[in-house]
Amino acid sequence: MNRSIRRLYLTLAAGFGLLMLMLGWWQVVAADDLRDRTGNLQTQQQERLIDRGRILSADGKALARSRPRRVQGQQVYERRYPQGALAAHVVGYTSDERGKTGVEDFYNRYLSGSFGTEPLLQRLNLREKRGADVQLSIDTRVQGVAEEHLAGRRGAVVALDPSTGQVLAMASAPTFNLQTAITDFPSIPTEGGPFLNRATAGAYAPGSTFKVVTATAALESGRFTAGSTFRDTGRYSTPGGDIRNFGGNVFGTHTLTTALTNSINTTFASIGDDLGAARLGETMEAYGFGERPPIDLPDDQVRSSGRRGPGDRLLPNDEQGIDVARVAIGQERLLVTPLQMAMVAAGVANGGTVMAPQLMRRILDRGGSEVRRATPRPVGEAMDAATAAELAAMMENVVREGTGTAAALSSAGVTVAGKTGTAESDDPNRNQAWFIGFAPAEDPVVAVAVVIEDTSETGGIAAAPVAADVMRAAIEAR
Amino acid sequence: MTPRTRELGLLVPAALLGVLGAATVASVRADDLDLGPLPGAIGVFAVFVAMHVALRVRAPQADPYLLPVVGVLVAIGLVELDRISPALAADQAVWIAVGGAAFVATIVLLPDHRVLERYTYLIGLAGVGLLLITMIFGTRINGAKLWIQIGGGQTVQLGEVTKILAVVFLAAYLRDKRELLAIPTRRRLGVPVPPMAALGPVLLFLVACLALVGLLNDFGTALLLVGVFLAMIYLATGRVAYTVIGIGVVLVGCLAVYAAVPRIQTRVDGWLQPFDDPQGQGYQLVQSLYALGEGGVFGPGLGKAFLVTDDGGTVIPFLQTDFMFSAVASELGYIGGVGLLLGFLLLIQRGFIIAAQANDGFSKLLAGGLTAAIGLQAILIIGGVTRLLPLTGVTLPFLSYGGSSVVTNFVLVALLLVISNRSRAGHVPSRRERRRMEREAAEREAVAA
Repeated sequence: MNRSIRRLYLTLAAGFGLLMLMLGWWQVVAADDLRDRTGNLQTQQQERLIDRGRILSADGKALARSRPRRVQGQQVYERRYPQGALAAHVVGYTSDERGKTGVEDFYNRYLSGSFGTEPLLQRLNLREKRGADVQLSIDTRVQGVAEEHLAGRRGAVVALDPSTGQVLAMASAPTFNLQTAITDFPSIPTEGGPFLNRATAGAYAPGSTFKVVTATAALESGRFTAGSTFRDTGRYSTPGGDIRNFGGNVFGTHTLTTALTNSINTTFASIGDDLGAARLGETMEAYGFGERPPIDLPDDQVRSSGRRGPGDRLLPNDEQGIDVARVAIGQERLLVTPLQMAMVAAGVANGGTVMAPQLMRRILDRGGSEVRRATPRPVGEAMDAATAAELAAMMENVVREGTGTAAALSSAGVTVAGKTGTAESDDPNRNQAWFIGFAPAEDPVVAVAVVIEDTSETGGIAAAPVAADVMRAAIEAR
Repeated sequence: MTPRTRELGLLVPAALLGVLGAATVASVRADDLDLGPLPGAIGVFAVFVAMHVALRVRAPQADPYLLPVVGVLVAIGLVELDRISPALAADQAVWIAVGGAAFVATIVLLPDHRVLERYTYLIGLAGVGLLLITMIFGTRINGAKLWIQIGGGQTVQLGEVTKILAVVFLAAYLRDKRELLAIPTRRRLGVPVPPMAALGPVLLFLVACLALVGLLNDFGTALLLVGVFLAMIYLATGRVAYTVIGIGVVLVGCLAVYAAVPRIQTRVDGWLQPFDDPQGQGYQLVQSLYALGEGGVFGPGLGKAFLVTDDGGTVIPFLQTDFMFSAVASELGYIGGVGLLLGFLLLIQRGFIIAAQANDGFSKLLAGGLTAAIGLQAILIIGGVTRLLPLTGVTLPFLSYGGSSVVTNFVLVALLLVISNRSRAGHVPSRRERRRMEREAAEREAVAA
């Protein structure tokens, strides 16, 4: 019987061997995957034990920090958002029940101190469990002005530094209080979609602001200059129906500069047909259309701009039978984000080079030494510097004498360049008012995009003054 | 060195493990030295010393390694329970004292386990009877009817006792009929068929047990009983064919149970796809896996894993009974988990060595069966919490919180030691015999003088 006993022992020992393998799978091989699963109470507890890094504004204000508290003899940390709702969509929240959003999510590795050799040093008790501070390029003074203007309305504001792509302000309304989001989420009224970051994920018809893109393609083609002349009869026929001007105006013979200044639909429609889908598509691509802007926010909070509809082909260049005339004036199911339109303005301001938008300015460990620093990175060449200067001059004219006079900062001695837009809908009270632009025109330090939803007013009336104040704040904050 | 001195020496590290473990847990909890668990640790050590003394007097030649291994497992279990809740550990310490008393009683009252052979059918009937009592008077907790209410809000799990009775019955019966069973009289479709007259009563017993366990909704004990049965049939006959056929029948039976019992279906689904419903059916298992993953290779250390929430509840439901292994592996990491597995492996290795050293068939079958029961039970529940097997509610021997389990397993170890003592003392005279021999020698000397 001893042979049977021996075999039975070996069988059971093999069972224990299998248990060791299975245990090794969970504790060694799959451990990281398990930690990353949402709803993992263990990970949540570990996060509570970490002194999570602060999120700071460019002007040194704490947008998020952690406060220690003792529970059952253990030091745990609670997240605080001292600025409440300020830049809520950018900062984001970190909560056990709802996960993470915004910068809290995107830079979690740094904020939680699990970058580089930190986890190893912490495990060996050579380093405390502490996260690094993330400083944003968001300036609370610029951000504050943007949010004041948006209060009580729906819309978004994006302000960029055109030469670096750094985001100076990014506001979306309606908004919510970050502190409430982690303590009493259900109490936040959901009307109007307060959790949607309209600046990066709102889809709007660009209206006439898109004419800046069309003008870029026109000038770059070499077939048009700022002085090229056009004749307007108040009507431009396309297979998709006639295109008319805003208010039924007829402008007669005029230059390209005048066409932009007065936002003449018929002229830009004819330019669109003249250029063709492929060339217009190329310029759109150079500005960043058709792809998610490479901003440092979680993917699900950023969307791409372009044509939406059957097939979802974002750029017109590979499509047959497309109404290029309507694309050229910002119609034909074009849907864009305010961030993308701010990148258009910044591209013109920066001599044609479109920079990748970036929220992070630098990351500092608790000793104050720099862990990472923002590196400006071009994402596209929309035009050469000469063309950019020509287009900038045209956009200056829009603010000097055209539809965008409300954006002027002449009292501050600053020249503003810009373009208005009014995306009309069937309900005259539900237009989308746009303004994109930059200042000072001769040496731009700020580029903006402003969109106001559900207004009966035009972009020149509803959006241009907001842009003016935001740009002034940005110039003063320097 | 005598076996008993060796045993006493080996009990010292087990005691140190318990005391240091408890001290670590207490210091993590209080941030300074807390002597709270010390009296309890000393008490439990005293229980083990009493067990050792009983062995020294009544079974001096018994295997010296078994008790220290049990001591290590008990120490780990107590430390972990103390870490979950000091009240649980205090309760468990009392149960260990009761278990120690049962152990001593077994050693003292049963100097020769072979008397059990005389009561084969009585023991078999008692096993079925206990299950019947549970069925009639039992309380349903968490869907399964496993507990009998006794005075003072205490409950007893008679199914645990059935485990031992079943092994004793099977050992005695199979010892009697093993020759008959080992030589199949005929073949059906190329499959050896044992004589039904010999196999009948034992199958009847098994079916009765399974039926009752099925009525009690205790799938874990059912699997354990079947596993022990197959292991002992193999030990008795040495025929792999029986075991293979048996496993086939078991698999078919499991499928039938899966198809028929909704509670089992949800359990199995929770096993196959735990992450599909992490808040519902898969909750326990998923939390266990999360705890294991967080433990990683080295673990954060005793008292430092996240097992108890701010309000004092456990993160994994039934942590102190079903998920003790997860608790240990979460705190001590893969290293600690493998250590615990090796502890159980060492335990069953000693058990099977005792079986191999035994002189007669009954002793071999009994020791082998008892050891297989412990080993299978550990594999069942550890496999359950690591997702190797579907989760069943059997306890982790010597670690899980609960009196019935502690007392039963202590008696089981006592039986193994009695068997060991019998076989190893084969040529070595017992203390009484030695005294008689000395007396006779003295008398001879006196006569000579």
